[in-house]
Amino acid sequence: MQLFPRELNYLPLAVAVGIGGIVGPVATLGIWYYFSPKNTQVGYAPEQPIPYSHKLHADELGIDCRYCHSNVERSQEAQIPATQTCMGCHAVVKKDSDQLAALRGSWASGNPVPWVRVHKLPDHAFFDHSAHLAAGVGCVSCHGRVDQMEVVRQDQPLSMGFCLDCHRDPAPHLRPKSELTNMTWKPEGPSGDESAQAHELAAAGVNPPEHCTGCHR
Amino acid sequence: MTRLNVIKPAAPSSKVAAEKPAAPAAQSGAKVFWRSLEEKADAQRNAEAAHGSDVVNRTIDASELSRLKRRHFMTLSGAIGALATLEGCIRRPVEKILPYTDAPSAGDMTIGLPSHYATVTSQRGEALGLLVNSYEGRPTKIEGNPDHPTSAGSTDLWAQATVLDLYDHERARTPSKKGVAKSYADADAALDAVIAEALTNGGQGLRVLSHPTLSPTFIRLREQAKKRFPQARFHTYAPVSDANVYAGTRIAFGQPLAVVPAFQSAKVILSLDSDFLLTETGSVLAARQFGDSRHMESAAGEMSRLYVVEPSMSLTGANADHRLRLEGRAIGAYLKALAAELAGQGAEIGVSAGGGEVAGVPASWIKSVAKDLLANRGASLVVVGSRQPAAVHALAAAVNRGLGNAGKTVTYVRPLDGADVDPFEDIKALAADLASGSVKTLIVLGGNPAYDAPADAGFAAALAKVPTSIAVTDRVDETASLATWHIPLAHELETWGDAQSRSGSYAVQQPLIAPLFNARAAIEILGKLAGETDTSSYALVRTTVSGLGGSDELAWQRLVQRGSGPVSGFETLGGLSVANDAVTQAIGALPGPSAAGELEAVFLADNKLFDGRYANNSWLQELPDQVTRICWDNAALIAPSTAKQLGIENGDMIKVTVGSTSIEIVAWKQPGQAPSTVGLPLGWGRTKGGTTAAGAGFDVYPLRTSSAPHYAPAKIEKLGKKYPLSQTQEHDSMEGRPLAIDATLDEYKSQPDFGQWATPDMSVAPLWKPQDYSEGHQWGMVIDLNSCTGCGACIVACNAENNIPTVGKEQVARGREMHWLRIDRYYAGDEAEPEVALQPVACQHCEEAPCENVCPVNATAHSPEGLNDIAYNRCIGTRYCMNNCPYKVRRFNFLNFNLEVPETRKMQFNPQVSVRFRGVIEKCSYCVQRIQNAKIGARREERPLKDGDVVTACQQACSARAIVFGDINDKTSAVSKARAVDRNYALLSDVGTRPRTRYLGKIRNPNPEMKG
Repeated sequence: MQLFPRELNYLPLAVAVGIGGIVGPVATLGIWYYFSPKNTQVGYAPEQPIPYSHKLHADELGIDCRYCHSNVERSQEAQIPATQTCMGCHAVVKKDSDQLAALRGSWASGNPVPWVRVHKLPDHAFFDHSAHLAAGVGCVSCHGRVDQMEVVRQDQPLSMGFCLDCHRDPAPHLRPKSELTNMTWKPEGPSGDESAQAHELAAAGVNPPEHCTGCHR
Repeated sequence: MTRLNVIKPAAPSSKVAAEKPAAPAAQSGAKVFWRSLEEKADAQRNAEAAHGSDVVNRTIDASELSRLKRRHFMTLSGAIGALATLEGCIRRPVEKILPYTDAPSAGDMTIGLPSHYATVTSQRGEALGLLVNSYEGRPTKIEGNPDHPTSAGSTDLWAQATVLDLYDHERARTPSKKGVAKSYADADAALDAVIAEALTNGGQGLRVLSHPTLSPTFIRLREQAKKRFPQARFHTYAPVSDANVYAGTRIAFGQPLAVVPAFQSAKVILSLDSDFLLTETGSVLAARQFGDSRHMESAAGEMSRLYVVEPSMSLTGANADHRLRLEGRAIGAYLKALAAELAGQGAEIGVSAGGGEVAGVPASWIKSVAKDLLANRGASLVVVGSRQPAAVHALAAAVNRGLGNAGKTVTYVRPLDGADVDPFEDIKALAADLASGSVKTLIVLGGNPAYDAPADAGFAAALAKVPTSIAVTDRVDETASLATWHIPLAHELETWGDAQSRSGSYAVQQPLIAPLFNARAAIEILGKLAGETDTSSYALVRTTVSGLGGSDELAWQRLVQRGSGPVSGFETLGGLSVANDAVTQAIGALPGPSAAGELEAVFLADNKLFDGRYANNSWLQELPDQVTRICWDNAALIAPSTAKQLGIENGDMIKVTVGSTSIEIVAWKQPGQAPSTVGLPLGWGRTKGGTTAAGAGFDVYPLRTSSAPHYAPAKIEKLGKKYPLSQTQEHDSMEGRPLAIDATLDEYKSQPDFGQWATPDMSVAPLWKPQDYSEGHQWGMVIDLNSCTGCGACIVACNAENNIPTVGKEQVARGREMHWLRIDRYYAGDEAEPEVALQPVACQHCEEAPCENVCPVNATAHSPEGLNDIAYNRCIGTRYCMNNCPYKVRRFNFLNFNLEVPETRKMQFNPQVSVRFRGVIEKCSYCVQRIQNAKIGARREERPLKDGDVVTACQQACSARAIVFGDINDKTSAVSKARAVDRNYALLSDVGTRPRTRYLGKIRNPNPEMKG
């Protein structure tokens, strides 16, 4: 008596093909998604409690980044400005604007303005703004043309691969210290990326870490 | 040429191991080290251990806890997997950034950068200047203040641990009356009522009890309060104090004085039951001076010789060149005999000491020690422990004077407080008054007398009879729970205060944070009693400073910024004349040795909890005892020979009886314990100390009486019960290889590179292309075993710096302690009087690291600067690296030790270091966050990194300056110089790991006359 039909011999093959057919595409799609800008959230532009326009302040009014993000050359944190910094101007300028009601409320009550974080690194990555500025990396390299943004959005993936691209070859991303906050600076030379100027800067001792504890402690 | 020859500085080349020449004189491999009595006795077990696990003879059976069955495990792990997948999808919750509204000025605080504030701690009879790291207003790490004379940049383990006490969530949060929470308005009203009544009757029936203080503000206010309430009485009591020192100097000099030794100038030191390296007053300065006196750049140098006579193995005894175990009561007789011998050999002692033989003391300990002391007139030193009776201190003063040491190796200063009272008599008198009903109000300003007062005083029972008692303590402890009122006491880092050190500096205690739980400072309560109008601690201290001549605002700010300044008119006394007749009379009344068959109980200030005040500090609880290596418990220490007579094994419960009182306590056989003594560490068995303190150890205070607070005749009896102890002394075995390498001074002189003879370097190159370490910074560490005292401050500092969790007694018993840095303690020789070797071991940062080769996911890899890195987020927890590490320094997060951490405790975490999750390996990183931040700081300032910019946490804490860290490619750096010292060796060099951490071999300096 034959308990199992002969066709059953094809079962292992069918299972193998089936698994291959399902697992393969799922893995491919998974990895595809994982490395896509959607996952790294490039373009993330949440609504902020106050519709603050970097385009207006940084571009049209020409305020330097460091006026508000004043820690950026001293500390790992660039710092989101205190309400006080905003009120420095807005106690006089546009002091009755409806859009600034939340700001005035914060100043009166002492409660902070709950800004929504746009650029987020994992907790185990220890990024230091001051180190990058001291090496000659400009704001625009990671943050994009913030001066053209009505609403701040994430411009670059800020993934480990993104960091390492630059750490492995920093020269194209370096600039003179005077041009750190200049959003439109271009290296001089025949072709921008391979300028003599950038290589000169890199030779001045910029040696970014590529080992684990450079960023993970 | 292989690279091996580059590192190896001198002869014995790698050939040595192959050729096996006649062993050099100093080949210390010949010495047999043992870590425990079990290991010494049981060769069979050792053989098994060599093939089996690294943790043997666990005292807790680990299997009893694993109730999880396989099926449940499978179910759960499936569910966890599903949940983890879900969690992966929800990747980015919206996160808010809440900036300041009105930002502090950049000079006060920069977000992301630590600020450093100078302050002072005064916890064990001496002021210790501190610099505290603060991130955005949260103090996270305590370091020594280089400008403060007693600290000079280093601390003890208690100062390191005190930041954890600050964040103890079990401190009281509101005042309370008989256990019911009250507001400060109510508490102030109660206090005002007490004051109002006292104003009508001059303070009749009002008593105030406090610890002896170092605070000039406290003393000023107390004097003011005494004038305001002439009938009130102020008591001082501390269970461990220098009262006997003061009483002894009063006999000798006619005035109570504190003894301030200068160990760095001493060539021969005789310590009589004095644990000056750890538990005695001023141990931070003493450890540094002692380290300096042992510092050897080369074999041509000189080093001090330390004789220790003591009943119970202290850390100082563990560091001795010659140690004599002697019961506490006989130490006076020994000093008498020694004084007589010194007089006989020509010293002008001036005191007729009698002399004669002392039972248990070999003749050489009198004749040869006397000769050695005399040969170093003016450069010898006799120090006596605070436990010893006053007469012994008086005689030591006479001996030091006779040897010409006074003013050279020992000076005297006037103590600030507690000099005029016998604390035990004082507390007994107070308790008697409480019981008789003559006291209407008692205010306890700090301290815990209901727990630590002598048993015969009956303080706890008497306290309950007082109509109004106000306890000002940090938690509702044993005392506060018996008092009518409890007012929370602020931590030292929360309020203003001040402290004067014995080296004559006045330091301001600057708060780092506003009181977390709305607590008060003791001076604020006292200020009310003194009738001050502004009782804020700031105003009170400011007034004191103005009185001291610092009314100028700029001078005040400079004082606060630097942390300390000199005290005008402070006198250091040297050449005082000794009242010979008074000393002769006093030593005549010294007790003789105890009768045969009688045991002596010795009450010891605990190596970790001191008198019990640190009982709720989990860092200190988990720190293995420096000598016994027991965690989370104390034990009655008995000599192995005594234990054999009574049939007692480690972990047996025994009954210790003093007079008519007995307690049950676990026994521990302590090599080096005097046979007729039982050592009883104080400070354990707290009942109301908090959840960390609860159930840890055994309270021995019930045996302590005011008539015999230090040494008491005792009986012990075996109970036939067992008690599980967690101790780490046999964890992390390196299988009997030569590790802590030592030599005598003579051996060192004849064979300066003895360390490398014991561990010859590998003669074969690795199989792969070696990394080039010739460029850039190359980090390295050198640990000088000759300076290291084994105090453990480095371990606590490492805990604080690197967010290392504590795991608890049970997990320690399973070998799961997380300390990145451990101190191995080895014994050598006779178990009755062993030599001790102590060796700090952390990750050695091998250039050819065995851990890196076995990691399947490359989570641990080498940095170009020679660090052995770990990326925690890569680690999948195979533990291959842990098993392949020959030094056993890698730690695995078996459980999520950081999961249920109280909110306040989280405030202590160092934001520069990841808090690790379950399932990952961690280990010493050479404080890589400090390296990176120093490099970034140097780049910011556009200057090259210089030697000394990077100081690791352990190095910073070390008061003996045994740890040097820096760039070994910089040939002028301190670490390069230390690596060039001839007695350097690499741990297990023959394995071929090429560690970056080097050790400098320990030198013993025995008296040639006392050999054998």
